[in-house]
Amino acid sequence: MKKTSALQYILIYSALALAVAWSIYPILRVVTISIRPGDNLLNESLSIIPEDWSFQNYITLFTDHPFGTWIWNSILVTVTVVITGVALASTAGYALSRFRFPGRDASLLSLLVTQMFPATMMLLPLFIMLSNLHLINTYLGLIVIYSSTALPFCVWQMKGYYDTIPYSLEEAARIDGASRFMAFYKIILPLASPALVITALFSFMSAWTEYIVAAQVLWYEEMFTLPIGLKSFQANMTTEWGLYAAGAIIVSIPAIALFLFLTKYLIGGLTLGSVKG
Amino acid sequence: MRTKLQHKRSLVTTVRTMLLMMILTCFGTGSLWSAEESTTTLHLWHPMPAPSRAVLNELVADYEALNPDINVHMLYKENEEVRMAYMSATGFTEGGPDLLYGPSDFTGALVEMDIIKPLENYYTEAELAAFDPKGLTWYNDHLYQIGDELGNHLALVYNKRLFAEVGLDRPPETLQEMIEFGKKLTMDKNGDGIIDQYGLVWNFTEPFFFMPFYASYGGWVMDEEQNPTLNNEAAVKAFKFVTDMRDVHGIIPTECDYDIADSKFNTGAAAMLINGAWSWAKYMESPHVDFGLAVLPVNEETGLFPAPMIATKGYYVNPYLEGERLDQVLALMKFLTSAEAQFKYASRLATIPTLLEVRERPEIAEDPVIKTSIEQVSRGKAMPISPQMRAIWDAMRPAYQNVLGGNMTPEEGAAYQQELASQKVAELFEGQDVNQDAVNITAIIVYLAGLILVVWALYKLFVAFIMPMIRGIPGVQVKESRFGVYMVAPAAIFIFGVVVYPFFYNLVISFSNMGLTTVNDWEIIGLSQYGKVLTDSQFYRFFMKTIVWTVVNVGLHVTFGIMLALLLNRPLPGKGIIRVLLILPWAVPSYITALTWRGMFNIDYGAVNVILKNVFGIQPISWLIDPTNAFIATIITNVWLGIPFMMIIALGGLQAIPQELYEAASIDGASPWQQFKKITLPLLKPVMVPAITLGIVWTFNNINVVWLVSNGGQPGDQTHILVSFVYRAAFNLYRYGYAAAFSFMIFLMLAFFSVKFMQKNKATETAY
Repeated sequence: MKKTSALQYILIYSALALAVAWSIYPILRVVTISIRPGDNLLNESLSIIPEDWSFQNYITLFTDHPFGTWIWNSILVTVTVVITGVALASTAGYALSRFRFPGRDASLLSLLVTQMFPATMMLLPLFIMLSNLHLINTYLGLIVIYSSTALPFCVWQMKGYYDTIPYSLEEAARIDGASRFMAFYKIILPLASPALVITALFSFMSAWTEYIVAAQVLWYEEMFTLPIGLKSFQANMTTEWGLYAAGAIIVSIPAIALFLFLTKYLIGGLTLGSVKG
Repeated sequence: MRTKLQHKRSLVTTVRTMLLMMILTCFGTGSLWSAEESTTTLHLWHPMPAPSRAVLNELVADYEALNPDINVHMLYKENEEVRMAYMSATGFTEGGPDLLYGPSDFTGALVEMDIIKPLENYYTEAELAAFDPKGLTWYNDHLYQIGDELGNHLALVYNKRLFAEVGLDRPPETLQEMIEFGKKLTMDKNGDGIIDQYGLVWNFTEPFFFMPFYASYGGWVMDEEQNPTLNNEAAVKAFKFVTDMRDVHGIIPTECDYDIADSKFNTGAAAMLINGAWSWAKYMESPHVDFGLAVLPVNEETGLFPAPMIATKGYYVNPYLEGERLDQVLALMKFLTSAEAQFKYASRLATIPTLLEVRERPEIAEDPVIKTSIEQVSRGKAMPISPQMRAIWDAMRPAYQNVLGGNMTPEEGAAYQQELASQKVAELFEGQDVNQDAVNITAIIVYLAGLILVVWALYKLFVAFIMPMIRGIPGVQVKESRFGVYMVAPAAIFIFGVVVYPFFYNLVISFSNMGLTTVNDWEIIGLSQYGKVLTDSQFYRFFMKTIVWTVVNVGLHVTFGIMLALLLNRPLPGKGIIRVLLILPWAVPSYITALTWRGMFNIDYGAVNVILKNVFGIQPISWLIDPTNAFIATIITNVWLGIPFMMIIALGGLQAIPQELYEAASIDGASPWQQFKKITLPLLKPVMVPAITLGIVWTFNNINVVWLVSNGGQPGDQTHILVSFVYRAAFNLYRYGYAAAFSFMIFLMLAFFSVKFMQKNKATETAY
């Protein structure tokens, strides 16, 4: 790559600065609401830190509400979904990228087709189904639904990434006596880590902030996941905005942490050229 | 190089360890997976806001202490959500909670769906006589709800401190006086040309808050036969009265929804507020407010007092209860509506008890807030409990907002709301009067067609999957293709297991007349719901809007996403931090950021207008009142939300492009643009095409952002895309059959489009 000149640096940084400002300003507003006393969603002041700021809302979350339990429940559900998502998407994506088998094209398209029916209309029958299967008030029902919402995209994503990895790598492994599965597991999977990271991140996000299905399935406050717990601060015309905003900020911290942890696998890793060499 | 490879391997190891931990955890916390029940657990669902919830919790704790074998489980859901959740659980699965708490306007729909228990046989006459008749909800000669509170009525809240500052020592007594006071109290304190304190604020975008004025000119929503009565002199005058307060007298802000009104009054930036009984407790505690409450002042033109709508709040009983459990539930309900319970609510939250005896106790009778509140209730009118009321609200809202937005004159608005209300009432009861013979024939045809479809699908499945499994595909080893199938099967089973039932359920419903009155006895009526969808001009209007919405959103997501990814895909000091900051819009839950964006689009104080004015000198734009601008506002919000996702995908995709290609191209003298076009784009394609296709599908069906930013389609039900429109139709007017047919149209369009798009981009083909 050519050396980046000083002028280019200035241009790149100013573009990025603009993008960052645009991206974080609305979130700073949420922070403002969370540290402003008095439960007001709106304020005429544009300053980020209000005069009479306090962390009271954050403290209240943990002292007056089972927020810790909700966090734990969410972690339990989400981590299971992420693992299911990564395991199933990495294998299915691999098969769809590498093998010709009956119904391959049909499966690929129908994976997408499942995403096209408006989700709001799926809720009622989904509820009836879960209720008949006695999966109301269990995490199992929730986990299955979350995994299946994240999977179609993840499978496609993995398949697209495997497509860019040369076939010759597995062939070499097969010649060395590795089984089909071992060639995939030992050689290809580690190379596909950027796509694995995206799959994990996407599964995480689709389970971590979901509340519509969760609100249908979970009836016990002590079983709530974070988003429904958060929604219980919202009431028709009497929302506790301070708590709501503080909760939202806390909800996003694990997501940010996960992203920080995963990006080192996403970026700056192995490129295919260097594998060949 | 070696260390990097190890790095990758360690990820796999980490995941493996986590998996093991998860399995252990899942078994370790077995009790969490299904709730154990040793004593009798009674379920109560309610929409009580936090202050009432606290009282309820205390009462239930008392009750559990008295009855150790009973365990009461409470679940809070917001008003509309608790109604819909109860309807799904009780109407569709014969389950649901034992008790439902809510306002009396739930009654009509719950009775029509046949999912609440008549209660008159479980109460003695003496017990009933102790209640204010308004506290008991009767419908079709049955008693359905036992109230513990008369509430939801609007009254005039005022800030005594701000009144004193301008020398006023009493609330206004006539509407004319309210306007005069309002003018005195509206001021620009620091002289920057922006008004800092308004005389009056209230949620004037909602028809519920318009009702008192309508009534003060002698109007009311429906006649004795439940027919809407919205096109009259009273409606025209009341529309004019409200718009005059804003445009002629300038005492209310240009833009004011519930949260703006609430925030302004609560922070001392407005002197008077019209708000309901549920909200007063908050203002009593506010450090900026010296709380005063008054009845809505008389309309001197007619001599009538504005009449707010009053709803009884109370308990409904699940219809499937019987035997011992029913007795337990009734005992609990009687406890929660007892004099002691009501006294507790009233003394803590200044609510109006339904038991007359409690109202006469000195602590209650002498409370100034309750006194005013009771006076206001005596001037109010009971909110109609028939299901028609929902249709009327849905008709008034767009008409009223069109008048406020200046798109209709008051006369046009009145005519429009009447016409719309009649249409929506008809829609509410559609499906009731179907021709029985025609139904039988269509049912047979539709079932036959369904059968043929299933047989055909099974045959296709056999030809496509099973046969080649046995025989193999030419040129491919059977073993090889079986391995492929085994790898795909788990994911496929997961996905289709969840989707298949809901999909066919909707398919069947879309051929039926399922609606409010036919939830339990719906019949197959053929294609008429599809006919209704296709002949509705709104369908085409919102279809065009949805196309614009999708194309603009996905276009900008992808463009900005790739641009940022390219900027970041190079050695750059501080890259890690920048990357995380850019990802934030994805990480913070959108249900709060979308609301924040709505706040930022406020005409006077929103950050968007302030920045436009200070940086570019642009005059304030009315983002949320004008339909086109409101649509643009939703798009801006959604673009903000969607960029990080595409950026991450692009970043991942860029990792797969060998650096040598660029080096070789540079040596050959290719310009950066040529490199981008010839190397970057084609090699990003396999990763981006699925993301774009799904991005299109998700954006097309993304109801959340539109709903939150436009507050459910405002102004005037115009800020809709197809999914938000169908959502309104399905759940506001219970048109299940229609909504299912509508959803199928959406589904078919999307399916057709994306299959074409994928085929064009050859996305299913492998690269090798």
